[in-house]
Amino acid sequence: MLACEKVSRWFGGVRALSDVSLDIQQGEIFGLVGPNGSGKTTLVNSITGFYPPQQGTIRFEGHTLNRVRPHRIASLGIARTFQNVALFKGMSVLDNILLGRHTFMHPSALASLFYWWWAEREEVAHRDKVEEIIDLLQLESVRDEPVEVIPLGMQKRVELARALAAEPRMLILDEPMAGMNQEEKEYMVRFVLDAKEALDLTVLLIEHHMDVISAICDRAVVLNNGEVIAQGPVLEAVRHPAVIAAYIGE
Amino acid sequence: MFYRLSGVYHTRYSATRQLWPIPADRWQIGAVAVLALAAPLYMSDLYLSSYLLPWLIFSAATLALTLLMGLAGQLHFGFGAVMAIGAYTSIHLARAGVPFELALLAAGLMAALIGCLFGAAALRVKGLYLVMATLAMQFLVDWVIVNVNAISGGAVATLQTPQVSYLFVPVASLTARYYLALLWAAIVTLLVLNIKRTSFGRALVAVRDKDFAAAVIGVNIFKYKLLAFFTSSFLGGVTGSILAFCFYQAVTPSQFNFDVTIQLVAMALVGGLGSVIGGFLGAGFVLLAPIVLLNLIARMTDAGWLNVSTTLMAHIPLMLYGAMIIGFLLFEPLGLAKIYDNARKYFLVWPFRHTQS
Ligand SMILES: Nc1ncnc2c1ncn2[C@@H]1O[C@H](COP(=O)(O)OP(=O)(O)OP(=O)(O)O)[C@@H](O)[C@H]1O
Ligand SMILES: [Mg+2]
Repeated sequence: MLACEKVSRWFGGVRALSDVSLDIQQGEIFGLVGPNGSGKTTLVNSITGFYPPQQGTIRFEGHTLNRVRPHRIASLGIARTFQNVALFKGMSVLDNILLGRHTFMHPSALASLFYWWWAEREEVAHRDKVEEIIDLLQLESVRDEPVEVIPLGMQKRVELARALAAEPRMLILDEPMAGMNQEEKEYMVRFVLDAKEALDLTVLLIEHHMDVISAICDRAVVLNNGEVIAQGPVLEAVRHPAVIAAYIGE
Repeated sequence: MFYRLSGVYHTRYSATRQLWPIPADRWQIGAVAVLALAAPLYMSDLYLSSYLLPWLIFSAATLALTLLMGLAGQLHFGFGAVMAIGAYTSIHLARAGVPFELALLAAGLMAALIGCLFGAAALRVKGLYLVMATLAMQFLVDWVIVNVNAISGGAVATLQTPQVSYLFVPVASLTARYYLALLWAAIVTLLVLNIKRTSFGRALVAVRDKDFAAAVIGVNIFKYKLLAFFTSSFLGGVTGSILAFCFYQAVTPSQFNFDVTIQLVAMALVGGLGSVIGGFLGAGFVLLAPIVLLNLIARMTDAGWLNVSTTLMAHIPLMLYGAMIIGFLLFEPLGLAKIYDNARKYFLVWPFRHTQS
């Protein structure tokens, strides 16, 4: 479904990714792990069009993503969350999730001017969709709160909801459980699994919590200094000697 | 008391998204609408023509600007020029016999096109650089208008607006001009209010706040920045032409020079960026404050307490805008709208002290 072939990316003299190849199958949960600064986020940024790779190709369902701008990649069916929550402050939880519906809506000043005859029906129809996702992720209690006042764990959930609202086929989660306690983590895992089942998703999951990775991923890739040091079925990959060496620091 | 959220239950999504969910707000709006509609009946011509009329038109201009600066977050220091383009386009078309309705539309389109041209700079630059790009627009447009006689009729010339009619009503009497301005202000108000609660407004705010996060959910950043320039400049162009036809009844370059641009920015900032009620409050404040202050100083000089030269007098309003902009940026960046909102929320929960939103 998503394939990277020998993807490389430099920042100045720093080689953040070198010859990274991976192949994600439809319907699997694919883990991406590695120590800090190993290039996980950079790989995601390459896939989603923010830092196009300088070498190699990225393919998604037959489209080459290399020269495609981020908003086009979104409409191809890839949604993501950010390592540092990137919600729109000052907007309510509901409006943030409604923004996830952007690619399906037809925003225009004229439609807004004739709201009662034109835009209202669309707003209400998409509100229905958003309520389904609010239901799925149990966000009812904070629906009308401004996003900046709710706890971080909840914000991460709202970001997941916004990504799901776009009805993606591929969901990329960049450390969705960072900074969470055990209970919040378990909730999050549950929500990811539920969403995957309900919406028929393929998931690329970046996480530092190895217990989570081993528990829910089918396969995984381990990066270190921008290079793939192990890949395969998840338990094999994370127990590879090179991985243990990389984490312990030799 | 009368502001109460409790006891207001919505059973449809459309009802929760209405403009004024609280009954007391609806009553207020209704009262203001009645007062505005009946103004020619109870207000003297002097007040109507020299206070209420310009206030309405400048409020519309401020709303157009706040759509761009507040919602979309694109600084614009050439809005006087945008209005000038609209005014000159419509006056030449009207003189050539084009119906006024069409001339207004053309004014908007012309302002939008040229506005987008300079707004295209916004695709690449942000902040101060955008201020420079739009300032360049102001001076370039000013220069072209003054120096191309076909447009201005000469550097110090004043073009009288021709006799036109709007929807078969001649735009000549004060009452007709007032109602046209009121209609336009109402349209712009509803437009901006509706933009703020629909997908268009959300996309603009998303691009303003976190452009990368906007892109990742499929918002085309370039497109929405340009659309913001287009919409705002269109409204600005039409407002410029309304200002010419309804208020000045003439067009001359100085009506839209840099001073006016600064005045508009001050209105948007003082009122509260992105706020509709703030647009009205800011425009009213900036229009009235210098008058009140000048009267005060004139009285004081007459009484012999102060000695102010006439040249200094002329500069006082500008100094005042500067001080107001700085003051509001420092102490209440959300402007008069925030002060209004605080008062409203106080009554909303009275006799309790806190609100949650
Ligand atoms: N925009 C950038 N400019 C310069 N260097 C960058 C940029 N983004 C990432 N890098 C560099 O690329 C390398 C990989 O960073 P990246 O953020 O991808 O790591 P990561 O695996 O996501 O780490 P973490 O677990 O801390 O999130 C780092 O050395 C980082 O300094
Ligand atoms: Mg990272």
